[in-house]
Amino acid sequence: MIEAALAIVLGGVFNAAILFLVSAGLQLVFGVQKIVNLACGSFYALGAYFGISAVQWALGAGTPRPLFLAVLLLSGVALAAIGPVIERLLRTIYARDESFQMLLTFALVLMFEDILRIVWGPRTHVMGGGLYTLYGQLPFGAVKIPVYNLLVILAALAIAILMGLFLARTRFGRIVRATAENREMSEALGVDMARVYARVFTLGTALGTVGGALVVTSTAASLDMGIELIVDAFAVVVIGGLGSMRGAFVGALIVGVLKAVSIATYPELELMAVYMIVIAVLVLRPAGLFARATA
Amino acid sequence: MHTTRRNFLKLTGSAAVALGGLDAILAAKRAPLFAQANPVKIGVLPIKSGVAATVGEGGMRGFQWGVDRINAAGGILGRKIELFIEEETNPKDTTERFRKLALQNKVDMVSGGISSAVGLALGPVAEEMKMIWVSWDATTQKGIEETMPKPKYSFRSTDNECEAVMTSIMAAKHWKGKVKTAAGLNLDYTYGRNNWDAFQAITKKYDMGLDYVLDLWPKIGVTDLTSHVAAIAQKKPDIVFASLVFAELPIFMKQAHAAGLTQTTKFIFPPAGLQHTAMKKAFTPDGIIFGHNSMYFEAPNASPLLKQFTKDYHEKYQDYPHFESDRAYSAIMVYKAGIERAAKAIGGKWPTTDQIIQGMEGVEIESFGGPFKYREDHIPDCNFYAGFTTSKNRYDFSTIDPVEIMHTKNLQPPTGMGFFKWIESWKA
Amino acid sequence: MKHRAALALALLAMALVPLAGRDYYTTLMLPFFAYGIALFGLNLLFGYTGVLSFGHALFVAVGAYTAAYLTSAFGILHFEVILLVAIGAAVVVAIPVGLLCIRYVKIYFGMLTLAFGMLFYSFLYKFYHLTGGDEGMRVLRPTLLGQSFPTLDKVGFLTGPYYYYSLALLVIATFVMWRVVRSPLGLSLRSIRENPDKAQYVGVSVRRYRFFAFVIAAVFGAVGGALLSIPTGLVDPLLAYWTHSGNLVFMLLLGGFTNFFGPILGAFVFIFLQDQVMSLTQYWRLVFGAILAVVVIFFPHGLMGLVDPRRRAGT
Repeated sequence: MIEAALAIVLGGVFNAAILFLVSAGLQLVFGVQKIVNLACGSFYALGAYFGISAVQWALGAGTPRPLFLAVLLLSGVALAAIGPVIERLLRTIYARDESFQMLLTFALVLMFEDILRIVWGPRTHVMGGGLYTLYGQLPFGAVKIPVYNLLVILAALAIAILMGLFLARTRFGRIVRATAENREMSEALGVDMARVYARVFTLGTALGTVGGALVVTSTAASLDMGIELIVDAFAVVVIGGLGSMRGAFVGALIVGVLKAVSIATYPELELMAVYMIVIAVLVLRPAGLFARATA
Repeated sequence: MHTTRRNFLKLTGSAAVALGGLDAILAAKRAPLFAQANPVKIGVLPIKSGVAATVGEGGMRGFQWGVDRINAAGGILGRKIELFIEEETNPKDTTERFRKLALQNKVDMVSGGISSAVGLALGPVAEEMKMIWVSWDATTQKGIEETMPKPKYSFRSTDNECEAVMTSIMAAKHWKGKVKTAAGLNLDYTYGRNNWDAFQAITKKYDMGLDYVLDLWPKIGVTDLTSHVAAIAQKKPDIVFASLVFAELPIFMKQAHAAGLTQTTKFIFPPAGLQHTAMKKAFTPDGIIFGHNSMYFEAPNASPLLKQFTKDYHEKYQDYPHFESDRAYSAIMVYKAGIERAAKAIGGKWPTTDQIIQGMEGVEIESFGGPFKYREDHIPDCNFYAGFTTSKNRYDFSTIDPVEIMHTKNLQPPTGMGFFKWIESWKA
Repeated sequence: MKHRAALALALLAMALVPLAGRDYYTTLMLPFFAYGIALFGLNLLFGYTGVLSFGHALFVAVGAYTAAYLTSAFGILHFEVILLVAIGAAVVVAIPVGLLCIRYVKIYFGMLTLAFGMLFYSFLYKFYHLTGGDEGMRVLRPTLLGQSFPTLDKVGFLTGPYYYYSLALLVIATFVMWRVVRSPLGLSLRSIRENPDKAQYVGVSVRRYRFFAFVIAAVFGAVGGALLSIPTGLVDPLLAYWTHSGNLVFMLLLGGFTNFFGPILGAFVFIFLQDQVMSLTQYWRLVFGAILAVVVIFFPHGLMGLVDPRRRAGT
């Protein structure tokens, strides 16, 4: 019984790992640039589609199968190249009200819907060839958990730690935190805002595309996956507090595990659970669990 | 706040003129490529985007193939078909596109319609506007019983439950006595609920003595089912009845396989055909039940027509067709056959809409799945295919062998009879 | 006065549209009327009060489902009754939602309203015994001022009596909103948008007035929603989905939120543009996304901003 419960929780943690990656990207961009990037779901979907194509190509070109995870990670990182391009677009309206920026990202969502369809078509793209179970499975009572899931959880954890160290210890990390707290002061102190923004947005994009690439092995690439994810990422960000990385981590865990548990215990609630959590948090503790003082 | 209203008027005026001009350009763009004086105009409403995009794509491809062949052979009674392709999105917008096709493009027939809400919206509109509408899908019990018991202009699809009925009967026939517990994993909307109800009713009718230990209701668009897999594994059911339709189907299979569920559990996937090429052999076990609705691309009784279609489809799209192509193909073929039949009865002239409708009722055509015709209540009768999965094939996805074929007269109730009453009346 | 004349001319043009005989375009004016009314409400919040709601579709859905309920569940076909109940329902829903949302501003307000919209969507979807779930509910043809027009088929009804009825409602809504905006309430809202702190010091209760604006906006949204539901004849949960709210904001921005008539222009252009583009290409989402991006970046004051020389400076 304990194993069954553990299996359910681990499933939730796997979800949380992916959710964390995408939400961390969202948080980073909001914290520094005060933009709510609705297109983070689109980046996620792009990472998934591109990941499958990259793996297919690499394996076809003779790459040994166990290296497919590396191919996925690399493809996700490579996609971050679209970050600076899109950031340039958003840069044109930094001075405006935040709602405008959110609207521009909504425009991106619309455009990406069709771009994905144009490039990859409407079919579901599944990674075949038994790659999901290539690294083996661990028995957990009635279920087996693919080692891949654990690897992804570890990867997300590693990224979380690296992000934390990056923000706390490196020079650029300190600049990022300073800019998040007080943009004008940072600028007055000589920080090149354009460069900071470009880098931060690229990093945020990479987190989304890597998340998509990692998840596609265990799921699939489909047209609506981005729209579906926005809602959950949204909940994570609200619970954790806008702009907080720690909040993204804890929020992702809460949303991921709560969803998993509710599916196993009160399946009727599944559809509404997320929104109820969001509203409860926004009403009871509007700043979220780890809000920054200047949010 | 002051405003220059005259400027506002000027702007709307010029906007109206600009849009009117654009419309004229579009009308010119639509002029037929062939120097045909009087084409048959047909409006099409496929789904293009979102979770059901692949369903719409398969349908459109089958429809287009049929239209191309008809035109290559000279058209319908010498008149070529000209297509006006719009898009099915949500009920409100799709209703507007339907009206556009009818009022603005003045089409002779509209085909398409896949999701139930859209189907329920379009039916009354088709009747009101006296426009023949041949749907590809979207027929639920509610549509039959409540809103349009006696449609004149609307031609609907087979019942949404047919797939569930067929696969449930197969389960009862092959697995009775070997299974004790069942779990349901169905999408949280009408189709999912109807399917699960049908499965329970039929397995009870066949006295399978099943204990229904769990029912889960993931929402449409879900992309991860690890929690559902874990919940199912906890209950250890012998059968999982999962009427999953979209990307979640291959995702579920993959995750169930990775969790070790496929070793001990039997699965039933009534609409598996829609995602069949995504059901890779690597994670799909043998011996589970896949439903393929009205067409299975490699049926043992495949006609030369089906073989040609599959061949053309593969050449053009590097893919293998699913059954939505057949639903759409049947739609255009019945329309053509109905017109020809009606014309024959009146000495070769082009029939009126009422005469076409009469011609369509009961005329039998050859669809990809075999003989196909509409009953008097405008619901089709045709073959249905389902089978047990096998990995012994030359593809990377699972196919079915052996294939079972049932006729819809055993899969949907006769005119006027409620679904559950009909099941009650069986002698199982 | 030439401005009054221009307005009268526009009204006359709209009144003459059905006579042009292009039935489809006449029916396309109907969602324009409905969205125009709904957008007046949205703009009261954004253009005048300075808060952008990403959940306005919630109230549109409330109005639409009211029409569905009254006609198909209770057999009440008087459209006037439907409107009154829709207004009541909007107020009932807007009070708790407004009280909660109005405590927040800027992005939090947007996110909270989005969440409420989606909560309503999932409620409509989930409680299918009440709402029909994904299949929706039928909306029967209503009677207008007691008349059922039995000799007219649906298209005749929509391009005839219903057209003029909707146009009249738009005119009334315009008039009401004009009065609201010109009233002390309207002035207070504008002062709140300009500088909430200063407004508070001067004695304007910021929260209370924002709340009033929210409820009024909800009412306009619901009236629009009821109007919107009749031509389709069916309501479904997608009416409350966040992308529908996004489209409403799109329309508002397109028309220009700094101008009283911006919402109407935005609704008009959006609907007719979408109609043309959808017939032109299957990739209309790409085109529309690009248009929205262009408008946000280059024409933040929308189309009205192009024609009205007295643009508001910056946002």
